[in-house]
This record gives sequence, structure tokens and C-alpha cells, in this order.
Amino acid sequence: MMHATSYEDAALRVHAYVDGELDPANALGVEASIAMDPALAAERERVEAFRGLMREHLRPEAPPPGLRARVEASVGMRRPRMQPSWRALAASIAVTAVVASGATSMVVAPSGISTARDGIVDAHIRSLMSSQPIDVASSDRHTVRPWFNGRIPQAPRVVNLGSDFPLVGGRIDVVGAVPVPTLVYGHGKHLISLTAVPAAGRANSAPALSERGGYNIFRWTEGEVNYWAVSDASALELDKFAESFRTMPPDQ
Amino acid sequence: MGIANLQDQNKLIRASDRSGGRVQIFPVRTAESDDRMAGGEDDHQRFARLVLPHLGDAYSLARWITANRADAEDVVQDASLRAFRAIGNVAEGNSRAWVLTIVRNTAYTWLRKNRPSVLAVVDDLEAVESAQVVTTELDRETPETALIAKTDAASLQAAIAELPPAYRETLILRDVHGLGYREISQVTDVPIGTVMSRLARGRARVIKTIGRK
Repeated sequence: MMHATSYEDAALRVHAYVDGELDPANALGVEASIAMDPALAAERERVEAFRGLMREHLRPEAPPPGLRARVEASVGMRRPRMQPSWRALAASIAVTAVVASGATSMVVAPSGISTARDGIVDAHIRSLMSSQPIDVASSDRHTVRPWFNGRIPQAPRVVNLGSDFPLVGGRIDVVGAVPVPTLVYGHGKHLISLTAVPAAGRANSAPALSERGGYNIFRWTEGEVNYWAVSDASALELDKFAESFRTMPPDQ
Repeated sequence: MGIANLQDQNKLIRASDRSGGRVQIFPVRTAESDDRMAGGEDDHQRFARLVLPHLGDAYSLARWITANRADAEDVVQDASLRAFRAIGNVAEGNSRAWVLTIVRNTAYTWLRKNRPSVLAVVDDLEAVESAQVVTTELDRETPETALIAKTDAASLQAAIAELPPAYRETLILRDVHGLGYREISQVTDVPIGTVMSRLARGRARVIKTIGRK
């Protein structure tokens, strides 16, 4: 019997042989060693039987029907699917960003992320259905930010993002019974909303993309605040929005 | 002899495929390749041609890595966005391996962020890889082909699900997606010798597990 490790190497060659990965010279070498060693011959039979079993039972699983549309929407090849008819009434794009203050006590633990996300998307949808998606309409951050003072414990960070994403105004959403500030930005013909939820003790994180009911959502954490950008804009556009918001210095 | 020695296994592989343990199979876009696309193909058309055809493979791999359909969809969407951002810099060539590389890396990043407990086993991988699984876990001279052949799909899937992630992805890329060793080396970013040992050990473990049932 061969030494264990050299047997191991010989066994690897048997796998490569069965997989058709060997050049002719090495393939002949493996055939010769299989002829001499019953253990290697057994290994070849095992590998061949196993490959047959995998072929029989494990085809690549077909993707769910909506995935292609979702992917195309996220790179801007098509508009996200429109479900309820009332959404036709809404502007063709609305991006909602929610900005929350540190004094509010809502802490979104990992297990609570889905719940918070659902609440924020719901708030975004409600705002599109109402006669106006904002409580304070102003493109001046020096108007929007003070409006939050006195309504919630701490006003959110409000920045101007230039002509690509003009500030439209702000509103207060209620997520999990906690009032949180939401800024609304525009993008082309569309609206954008951004919400901030306090997250004491959470480390900063880069934007992560998800999707619910046709809305793209970017979530990231910065300075112990969870930011949620919600929109039916393409993920690519929303990503640009998140990037400009994150990189804009506080006192531009 | 041992793992270090396996790094030399790529010497066994067909000479035409050989260019070192790690093989760069994604050609960089050149002026010449740009000329071939003089039709003025934009990024969306390029994405439709190079990425969309591989969505099925992308989803299947993401599903195996995340073990969850909804998570796999999120991963594929995220990976597609990454692929789209890079679409101007990748040339013709093996677009499937390129897409699967992005999906695989996105899936692990995604898991690390959202399902850290799933990945805890990865830390044990080195210990696992130094074990002589292939030779010690099987009765060498009894192939047990009849036992293997009568295994049902559910038992097979359960046995694969028990594998350490590095073994599982190698096995799936080879035996479900049909990638060659060289492509797997690229997608998983390890030398071909490591691909070979992971594949053989992954197969041996699954065979042993289904043999116990």
C-alpha cells in the first residue's frame, strides 16, 4: 500500500482524470496506476457514480420569474414594475430618504431591519398617495432643518446635493411608533425621499441594496444614524444619490 | 508532501490551459476589441449580451451559497449592479466565469454583513483542509456505486448543504455548473491544486454522508 499522502495525490489525479482535465500523457499515467491499484480503481468508480448522481438530481435551479425584470430595473433598462394603479398618479420616481435624530430612542437591531424597512417603505408609499408628499416644501436647507426643530428631538442633517438631486422638502414619518425625519429630494421628473433613524452604537457601514414591492432601497449607517433611501428610481440612480449624500460635507 | 505540494498540481493540467497557479481568463478590453463593436453598443446592450444570459447560473450559485431563495435574489441584484458598473472595462471572453466571480464575491460580502452566523464555519477551513479526508473516510477498495446510485435528490442536497462553504462552492461549480478546474480557480481565487483537493474532499465527504443514511 502506498503512503497515505501520495495516495491522496494519486486520488486527486483520478478525479482530474474522470473530469477530463488531464493532458494525454498524465491521463495514460493515471490509467496505468488504476490498473495496478484496486483502491484507485474503486475511487474512479465512485467518482463516476457520483458525477452521474449529480447530473441526475442537481440541475441549476431556475431563477424566479421576476428576477430578470428586477435586475433590468436596477441597472435602468426598464422602469420598476408598477403594481397598484394609484402609483400611476405618483410622480414617476420618488426617492424617500429618512434621516433620524440621535435623541430618539429607536434602535434598529439586525433582527428589526426588515420591520423597519417595511415601515419606511410603507411611509414612502403613503406619502406618494397623499395630496402632497412633504410637510414642509422648500429647497432651502436653512428652512427645512429648523422646521424639524421643535417637532422631533433632533433635526436631521440636511444638505444640498446640487441640480441632480434638488431638495424638495421634508416630513415626519412614524416608524415603529417612533417619529423620524424624512427629507425629500427630486431627481429629473421624479421625487426622492430620505429617512434617518437613530442607531446608537452601530458601526458605520456602506450602502446595501434591497428591494421591496418594486421600490429600491439603499441602507447605510453613518455617525450612529441608519439612513434609508427609498425610491422607484433605478438602483443605479439611487446609488448615485446615496453616494452624493454621503460624500457631501456637513457644512457645504 | 501535503497541501503545499498540491500547489504544483496545475502542472498536470492540459498544457494549453497552463499559465501558473492562478490564471487570468478575463481579457482586458482593448482598442481592437472596441473596434469590433463599432456598432456603437451602449452599456445596457453590453450588459444584456454579457450578463443577462448568465442570470440562471448566477441565481443558482447564489442560492447554493446563501441557502435561501430570497437572499439569493438580493445577491443577484447586487451583483448585477456591480457587473453593470464594470461593464465598460471587461472585454469579450469568458463572461460566465466573470459573472460567477462577481456573484460569488457579492454573496460572501452579503452573508458577512447580513448572516454572519452562516459564515462562522469558514474559520475552521484550514483545519479541515489539513485533514486527510479523501483517504481516511472511505473504505478504499469498495466503490459502493450501487449505494451512490440509489441516493435520492433530497439526501444528496442535504449532504452537500453540510459541506464547508469552500468545498461546497467548488463542488457546485464543477458538478452542477460544469466549470473546468481553471475557471473554478479563477472564480474562487485559489490555485488549481487547491481546487483539486477541495473537489476531491468535497465529493468524498458527500459520498460518506449519503453512505450513512
